[in-house]
Amino acid sequence: APAAKMAALNGGAPWRRGWLPALQFVRRGSKAVTRHWKAMHFQRQKLMAVTEYLAPRPAISPRCLAPRRERAEEDNGYARLLRRQVEEVFRDNRMIAVCQYNSMPGEDMVLMRHYLRKHNIEVKFVLNEIVRPMLSQSKYKNLLPLFVARNILLVSPETKVKEMLRVLKGVPQVNLLGACIDNTILSRQGVENFAKLPSLEATQGQTVGALALLPSQTSSLLQRGSAHLTALLDQHIRQLQAGEMGSPAEPTPAQSSGTH
Amino acid sequence: KKMASKIRVVLRPVKSIVVRFCPFESNVESTRKFLGCINHKKIQATNRNCEVTADVRHDGSEPLVDVMFADGERLIMKGANLTTVEMLTALGSRCSAKELKEEQKSKKKSL
Repeated sequence: APAAKMAALNGGAPWRRGWLPALQFVRRGSKAVTRHWKAMHFQRQKLMAVTEYLAPRPAISPRCLAPRRERAEEDNGYARLLRRQVEEVFRDNRMIAVCQYNSMPGEDMVLMRHYLRKHNIEVKFVLNEIVRPMLSQSKYKNLLPLFVARNILLVSPETKVKEMLRVLKGVPQVNLLGACIDNTILSRQGVENFAKLPSLEATQGQTVGALALLPSQTSSLLQRGSAHLTALLDQHIRQLQAGEMGSPAEPTPAQSSGTH
Repeated sequence: KKMASKIRVVLRPVKSIVVRFCPFESNVESTRKFLGCINHKKIQATNRNCEVTADVRHDGSEPLVDVMFADGERLIMKGANLTTVEMLTALGSRCSAKELKEEQKSKKKSL
């Protein structure tokens, strides 16, 4: 009875206590090769147990040795492609805005992309693991702390900040963190100030006006003395003429002949 | 090890959430992830009236999460030394406690 129990045990069924063998297996009539799981003969079981594979132990246990650094040398083609794309993006565009992306419904995403496309602004999804090493090597080191959690980049060869801010205001799930415009790193405040600036021509005109102000002041200062003198002389002549008009016209030809 | 996106928070007793951080600081990661998780579809679906605002500053102040509940209570979490999971579980526990209270109140009223 215990032999039959042991035989049945090693066949894979869990050990069931208090199980009485109602039948004797060997007499049941199943052949050597069966479709169900057949328990091994006891001697075969013993042989299998004795000849089990034991892995050879290394001389020094691996816990004693220093842990080997698994270098992430994958650098598969996909990562290289993405890196190349990001490098291109950084080189080609004047304005790069970094925004935090919280999950947005798809239609809103498509609409936002559409509006930004109208102003020639592209939306790019970036992976932090690729962007971070690139940034640390390039000159954009201060953009490094921005690339944490999910981000998107809004890139454009023109600097249409007002329109971009307007579009982003309509989308609550995308938050502007910072931007790099014309190689100048700006925070969100900086971007808003930049949007409020007047256009380039207006600022140029203002600068020219400011620069031209000083020389004009100098010239007016220099000419002040002689201008004052001419003004005084004019006034004197007018007074004399006014005095002469009262008296008869004879002295004036005499004067004029006298002066000749 | 809990995944931050698996934590379900019922936002019904919450009126508004303001998340303030300065992205150029180095201790904002958990707060940013918290903001990302809160804006998930399922959590937003529990309460459509809850306004989630993100306040991005550049004054070196520490990351802050300000939650206003419907019964006037306020929860302020300073995320500089907290992980995302901790913040989410704290918010979730408070929300579920309030839900239970409201259910009990409504049961008493109906009785």
